[in-house]
Amino acid sequence: MNGQDLLLPLLTKLNALAGGVFLISAFGLVGIRQMLTCLRIYVFQSLLLAISAVILGYYHASIHLFVVAALTITTKVFIIPWVLRQAVGYESYAKREISQVINIPTSLLIAVSIAILSYYIASPLLTATGAGVFEKVNLPIGMASLLIGAYTVTVRGEAVPQLLGILAMENGAFFAGISIAPNLPLIAELAAAFYVLITVLVIGLLAMRIHKMIAKTAVGEMMALREE
Amino acid sequence: MTDKIIFNVIQVIVVMAFAPLIKGIGTRLKENVQSKRGPSIFQPYRDIWKLFHKEEIVSEHSSWIFRFTPYMVFVTPIFVALLIPVLTGYPLFFAFMGDMLGGGFILALGGFFATLAAVDTGNPYGPMGASRTRMVGFLAEPVFMIVFFTVSFIAGSTIPYIVQKHWVTPLANFFQPSHILMLLAFLMLILAETGRIPVDSPTGHFELAMIDESKGLEYSGTGAALMKWGGAMKFFVLCCIFLNVLVAPWGLAQEVQYWEVLLAVPLILIKIIIFVFVLVAIESSLAKLRLFRITEFLGAAFATSVAAMITDLFLM
Amino acid sequence: MELIYILLISIFAAALSLLPMGRRFAPGVTILGSLAVFLLSLRVALATTTGGELTAVRDYLSCDSFSALILVLVAFVGLTAAIFSWGYIATTVEATDDRKIRRYYNRFNLFLLSMLAVPIFCQLALVWIAVELTTLLSVFLVSFESTPQALEAAWKYAVLTCMGASLALLGILILCWGLSLSSQAAFTWEGLISAAPQMPPALLYTAFFFILIGFGTKAGLVPMHTWLPDAHSQAPSPICAILSGIETTAVLYCIMRLLPMFQGSAASYARMWFVIFGLISAGVAAFLLIQAKDYKRLFAFSTVEHMGIILVAAGLGGYAAHFGAMLQIVSHAVTKSFCFFAAGATLMATGTRNIGAIRGLIRISPLAGIFLMVGGLGIAGAPPFAVFLSEFSILKAGIMNGQYLVIGLLALFIVVAFFGIMHHINRMVFGSPDILLIDEQTEQTLFGRSIIPGRNILPVTCIIALIVTIIPVILFGIYLPEQLYQLIHHAASSLGSK
Repeated sequence: MNGQDLLLPLLTKLNALAGGVFLISAFGLVGIRQMLTCLRIYVFQSLLLAISAVILGYYHASIHLFVVAALTITTKVFIIPWVLRQAVGYESYAKREISQVINIPTSLLIAVSIAILSYYIASPLLTATGAGVFEKVNLPIGMASLLIGAYTVTVRGEAVPQLLGILAMENGAFFAGISIAPNLPLIAELAAAFYVLITVLVIGLLAMRIHKMIAKTAVGEMMALREE
Repeated sequence: MTDKIIFNVIQVIVVMAFAPLIKGIGTRLKENVQSKRGPSIFQPYRDIWKLFHKEEIVSEHSSWIFRFTPYMVFVTPIFVALLIPVLTGYPLFFAFMGDMLGGGFILALGGFFATLAAVDTGNPYGPMGASRTRMVGFLAEPVFMIVFFTVSFIAGSTIPYIVQKHWVTPLANFFQPSHILMLLAFLMLILAETGRIPVDSPTGHFELAMIDESKGLEYSGTGAALMKWGGAMKFFVLCCIFLNVLVAPWGLAQEVQYWEVLLAVPLILIKIIIFVFVLVAIESSLAKLRLFRITEFLGAAFATSVAAMITDLFLM
Repeated sequence: MELIYILLISIFAAALSLLPMGRRFAPGVTILGSLAVFLLSLRVALATTTGGELTAVRDYLSCDSFSALILVLVAFVGLTAAIFSWGYIATTVEATDDRKIRRYYNRFNLFLLSMLAVPIFCQLALVWIAVELTTLLSVFLVSFESTPQALEAAWKYAVLTCMGASLALLGILILCWGLSLSSQAAFTWEGLISAAPQMPPALLYTAFFFILIGFGTKAGLVPMHTWLPDAHSQAPSPICAILSGIETTAVLYCIMRLLPMFQGSAASYARMWFVIFGLISAGVAAFLLIQAKDYKRLFAFSTVEHMGIILVAAGLGGYAAHFGAMLQIVSHAVTKSFCFFAAGATLMATGTRNIGAIRGLIRISPLAGIFLMVGGLGIAGAPPFAVFLSEFSILKAGIMNGQYLVIGLLALFIVVAFFGIMHHINRMVFGSPDILLIDEQTEQTLFGRSIIPGRNILPVTCIIALIVTIIPVILFGIYLPEQLYQLIHHAASSLGSK
């Protein structure tokens, strides 16, 4: 306990640092043009999630969170990029530019306002429950990443960035979750980790099919089924 | 009291004397990274000396602005050097004359005159470069503002010395997310304001692509020397603000002693040289951005600074 | 124990259907499996008609009357869809492509498994995973036909519902947070209901919104419904029946379970949002229905409308309205699956999905024509079919409660949808028999490769499925069996109001 007290400010600051960079990587997903860099940013974000999980696990002295961190690293840092590469193919990766509906500076501004909005949503929650330091960082930033990921999905026109947007949403939800619900049963965490894997598999395979069918993965251009 | 005035003067002399050295080191390092030999690190001194002894040619069509600008560009960094912590950790005599916003405005004044003078001569490349400089300038303004406001809000003051005391001197504050994010934003700002890659190429000679270099195109003799020297001093001053206020305010003199202040001189030089290393690494690994991508770059800087502000304000 | 058996049987059926033992093996295994599941679920439902609960694993797997109702409906629609699939898939997939057929049944069983898991699990995080799995396991079923439109529909389906699921995940995590702060109850539906009064209201409201919008995307509420007409029309007809008939309802079940957590003054707030979303969904769907060009899309829009009606009924409050909502769930499940079976029969008979292309269906294929007509009337809400009874009870409950504006709008939307559906169905069914070639749709030629237009004979199993499903459609409009009445009664009171 004594060592814990000394360590606590340092842990708090490290967690806050991880949170800040997490938020920046969420912005990066919106603002980066190249697909490969987007993927790397996503991997980096997952790494930050694992770091935060380790810090929180140490603080709560809970083995669950360490397992969550380990799962996150194995699935999101190693397996998912490999799966995506197999499923979507190197030509899709070598593309430099991602088409999007709204240009990047405007998207960045919208992402910033989304971050402010999520802080605004989270603050009554934090005051109502008398939240600790960790929730104060993780909940708003996780929510912001969730909403920014949702925005990314609507704006981007390519298959893989849309998938990365969804994965970023899940990252955000987990980032908030490890702080506000750290004692979720282990089976739920395990299942959630596999769920992420299955999501990537399914959507990756679907993207591969689309690519085979129409020789490109620009799903933003698929507009055959619209109401006239 | 007199000590403080003397320290202030020493501060200015240090800025004036060592700015070309830093520029020379930066150039040489970049050339070395590219496996070339590079000019001597004292070359900028020789250039300035040579230029002072050359004849000055001034276009007939230019007005007083053209003649006045080199002095403006030379003097404004000196004024700013009076305000910021370069050598000492405590406020000096002129420190309360203006705060960070004032310093920013004074630097902007120099830039303003340089832009006007570039348009003044009727050279076609001047206005092109000037308009691009203004574009980069106005895009960088919000970032400046937000960084300064956040930093001042936290520290409770806009005087750089007080900010620096609160901001980084307790070591735990170094790892605050807002701090790191602000570092990132300000670094991007420095890249934009001093005309480094990825915003602009400082060694390019191609006038159509110049942004910052174009302001010095038309000058000769004393004017050119002052413009070069003033540019180097502006870079030195921005580095000082960045390092001494935001990043690493260690090694500054804490007591009112001569030897401490003199000891601080090589320390500040070492800090700036380390920063120059980092800068050269960044410059050598990135490519220059296309012109309209600069908005994205500065937009990213803006988003970073706002993220820093958010994580600080809402976490309080 | 039955609950565990139900899940295990589905897993076995999924594994077995991959075995290459002849064309009849996989569909046979599937039908047997779903029959066994249906019988087991009937047993579960009977056990809960007295208002009790059936628990297999405490805090993880348990069913009360509401979830038993959903379970029975899932099993029923699954059974009939399995029967229908036998004939449908045998006719639509080329004779040499055995692997494709086996894959279909494999995925069908897995999909059914995930849908059965939604009412069976009572631990909230597992319910979320089950809902997500229903999406993921059905994506490849939606894109089964591998046309560009099917792939587009599957892509939109996958992406939009995953987005919604992530939003709902945050809502569920916030609920877990509130629960851990206020009481030691387990993270199940009942635990939350008991702990809700102690939770800070800000948490409840925020979680409510996130879950409403997140799961609402998956349930097809407007404005998050854009994937639904595409996915529910491009999938093969038996899958459409499951998707429209019971899957959106299962997600709506999760949303409706939130209602008892709000008590007192907060309850009116939650109900108001239910009514708003429900009315908007019903209205938009009713008007979009009118311009549908594809009859499966027509039925898909009708699904959105009915989801809206159910949500409005839940939001009206009071026992009578909740009873109406449950009744509507039952009638919608059987009627909508019947409609899609009829649509599948029409597709097999004519080879086109286009409404304008088909005339005089009743002469091209009498059975398909009759079934389609009955389906159209049933889903539009004409007496003496089941949907009429449930809609009428909802409207009556609303008028008794005094909410005239809501009921007025709802009645208007129902009438608009009625006319829309009947107009299109009438155009298709009556008239001189003709199948026109509409050239801007490419799916026609693609489908025409494996189906001979003008073929008038439906496979026997399809007819069996249609007849099995039509029985409840007509029956529940006239008479409600006592056990079913008890089940619905307890389900309605579990929504928490008297």
